[in-house]
Amino acid sequence: MKKTYFSTFQLIVLTLFSALIVAAKIALRLPIQLPGHSGIFWMAIIIVATRVVPKKGAASFVGIVSGIMATFMGLGDFGSLNTLISYSAIGIGVDLALLLLGNPENLVVATFAGIIGHFAKFLVKWAFGAISGAPLGFVALGLARSIISYLVFGALGGLLGGLTLLALKKAGFFTYLAEKK
Amino acid sequence: MSQKKRILLAVVLIVVLIAAVLLLESLRAKIIAKDRDVSLNPGDIPVYMDGELLAAVNSEDLADLQMVQFTDAEQGKVQEGWLVMDIMEKYFETRHFSDSLKFVISSSSRNKSIALTWDEIAEPENMVMFDLSGRGTLKLVSKLEKLDIRDEWIQDVDKIEIIEP
Repeated sequence: MKKTYFSTFQLIVLTLFSALIVAAKIALRLPIQLPGHSGIFWMAIIIVATRVVPKKGAASFVGIVSGIMATFMGLGDFGSLNTLISYSAIGIGVDLALLLLGNPENLVVATFAGIIGHFAKFLVKWAFGAISGAPLGFVALGLARSIISYLVFGALGGLLGGLTLLALKKAGFFTYLAEKK
Repeated sequence: MSQKKRILLAVVLIVVLIAAVLLLESLRAKIIAKDRDVSLNPGDIPVYMDGELLAAVNSEDLADLQMVQFTDAEQGKVQEGWLVMDIMEKYFETRHFSDSLKFVISSSSRNKSIALTWDEIAEPENMVMFDLSGRGTLKLVSKLEKLDIRDEWIQDVDKIEIIEP
C-alpha cells in the first residue's frame, strides 16, 4: 500500500487542532479592543500542532482546514475568500518560519514563528484592503498600531505555544504519543 | 547556519516586510489624495450636501468626544466608538436639523451604503455609532434593526452625504 505523507492518525489530530482554532475564535472573547488580539490563542494552538505532528506542512494543513471551516461558518468581517486566505496564511507563515528557525520547543523560535505566522495574516488583510480600495486609517498611525498589535499578540501566542510544548514534554506526552504510533 | 543567524534573518525579514507595507501605504495615500478634494487630509471622512463639502470628520476633532460602547446581539462583540449624533454636533448646529433629514453613510470600497434619518441617529437608544476597526477605519454599527448584524454594518466608511427630504 502506498504510504501517505500524513498518517490517518496525524490527519485526525491536525483536523482537531483546526476545529479547536475555529471553536476558540468563536468562544473565546478577550475584552481587548486591539486588532489581532485573538492571535494569542490562535498562534499557541498552531505552534503546539507543529510539534504534535512534527512534519513540514502540518501548520499549513491546520491553517487551510481551519480556513475552510471558518469560511463555512461565516467567520470574518471581509468575506469568505479573505477568511480562507488569511487563515491559510497563518499556517503557511508558521511552516516557513519553522523551516528557517527549527524546533518550536525553543521558546525564542516559537515566539518568532508566532510573530511571522500572525504577521502573514495581517499582510493578507492589509493586501485585501489595499486592493479593494479601502480608505486610509481614520486615526493617526492606525496602520502602525495595527502592525504592532499583530506582532505583539503573535509573539505572545507563539510564546504560550512554546511553553505549552515544554509542559507537554515534561509531562511525557510526546513519549506517550510515540508509543501509540 | 547557526541558530543566532537564523533568528537574525527572521528579524530582518519582519523589518523588511513592515517597511514594505508602510512604504506601499504611503504611496497609496498619495494616489488617493490626488483623487480627493484638496481640503481633505488622508483618512478624513467628508460630509457633503448637494455636492458641496461641508465638513471633514477627522480623529483629532473627535479626541474630546466621549466614547460609547455596546455589545452586539449577533456576535457578542463589544462595539466601541463615537456616536454619529455627537460627531454631527461637533461640526453643525444640529438643533436646526429636521427629524426627516437624511444621512447617507457609504463605503466605496465595500460598495455599501445606508440612509438614516436624523431622528434615528439622534435617538441615543439606537446607538448609531462609528466603531474603530482593527485596520483603523470607521465601521457604522447600531442597535437599529436595519443595522444590527455584520452583513448590514458599513465597514470602511469614506463618505457622509446629507440630503434634505
